[in-house]
Amino acid sequence: MLRHCTMAELLDLRDGEGSAAARDHVDECAACRAELDRVHQRVAGLKALPGFSPPRDRWPVVREELRRSRRRGRWQRAGWGALAAAAALVLLVGVRGVGGAGPTVLAAQEVDELKAESRELEEVLQRVSREGRVMNGVTATVIIRLEDRIAVIDAGIAEIQTTDNSVTIELRDLWRQRVQLIDQLVITHVQQASYVGY
Amino acid sequence: MTEITLAAVDELAIQRAKSGDLTALEGLCRAYEGTVYTLARRVCRTAEDAEEVLQETFLEVCRSIKKFRGTAPGSLAAWIKKITASKALIRIRYEKYRETDELQEEGGWAGRRDGDVGLQLDLEAALGRLSETSKAVVWLHDVEGYTHEEIAELMGKTVSFSKSQLSRAHARLRKLLGEEVQC
Repeated sequence: MLRHCTMAELLDLRDGEGSAAARDHVDECAACRAELDRVHQRVAGLKALPGFSPPRDRWPVVREELRRSRRRGRWQRAGWGALAAAAALVLLVGVRGVGGAGPTVLAAQEVDELKAESRELEEVLQRVSREGRVMNGVTATVIIRLEDRIAVIDAGIAEIQTTDNSVTIELRDLWRQRVQLIDQLVITHVQQASYVGY
Repeated sequence: MTEITLAAVDELAIQRAKSGDLTALEGLCRAYEGTVYTLARRVCRTAEDAEEVLQETFLEVCRSIKKFRGTAPGSLAAWIKKITASKALIRIRYEKYRETDELQEEGGWAGRRDGDVGLQLDLEAALGRLSETSKAVVWLHDVEGYTHEEIAELMGKTVSFSKSQLSRAHARLRKLLGEEVQC
């Protein structure tokens, strides 16, 4: 080879992939040999650079996110059960109420509407609450609290449905609270997404 | 990252982590936080980005540890590093960072300090003046030991791209460190 090696050729040689011509040239050329030595020294220098330590402890945020995911999983499983039970109750109340539109029937109709609204909000929530999104501790805490409150509401709804099918006004109030809380949850997620900029 | 800390992540701890035990997951994350953060810092431009990558990596590790099947020594570290590299590369790809390579003034500026500390500082500074992509390739290939094929796959580019970036990075480092010689 009549010319000096390029950097690419030297790197190939270093990685054991160089051509025979390049290898022969380096054997004979002191300048290219010195350049190859400098590559080795540079890499040794890079490997010797000190490591970094994270300035803040990120585990608490990770742990909260993991707990939140687990809670959400449980909540979704419980939520579908509660929705099915609520649907059965509304159907039952509707059948009983045929012949007169008293306060119980009106409450049952509203529960129906609230259920639909709740379902729509949950669909929105699914879209905006992306798994693994990085969020600050304050937002994570707000979300956890909202989810906890929703879980309590769900428990109340399930209890009413299993003990007394006639308490539709109380059931309606719980569904109202549920819709409001999911609404807040959606807003919190949207605000977080806007802040993070994803 | 000390060997003692890494040794603490034994097979039993991994099994506990796979079962979702938060204490075991915490132990695992803490054992590798220095490794993950250092790699993230070397690839990302800012410390804040590296912190985000650290957090995203830990979340991914905790959620996917059940899928980890490695048994060979070092396979857990390699798996975690690959997650880190992937997340860091995604970040530099989409963050539209300013490519400093073309903007910095040419010419060597090193050699103003003496001894190993001076050399380290120069290398550190020179590394910081590479473009994000070049820096990522030189670090992944020369320090972490990734092959050009692996880097190409992680970056969604070709092997030639990885090789040319490495060559470019070394040429640039040589210039920045004032090592250029007349052949």
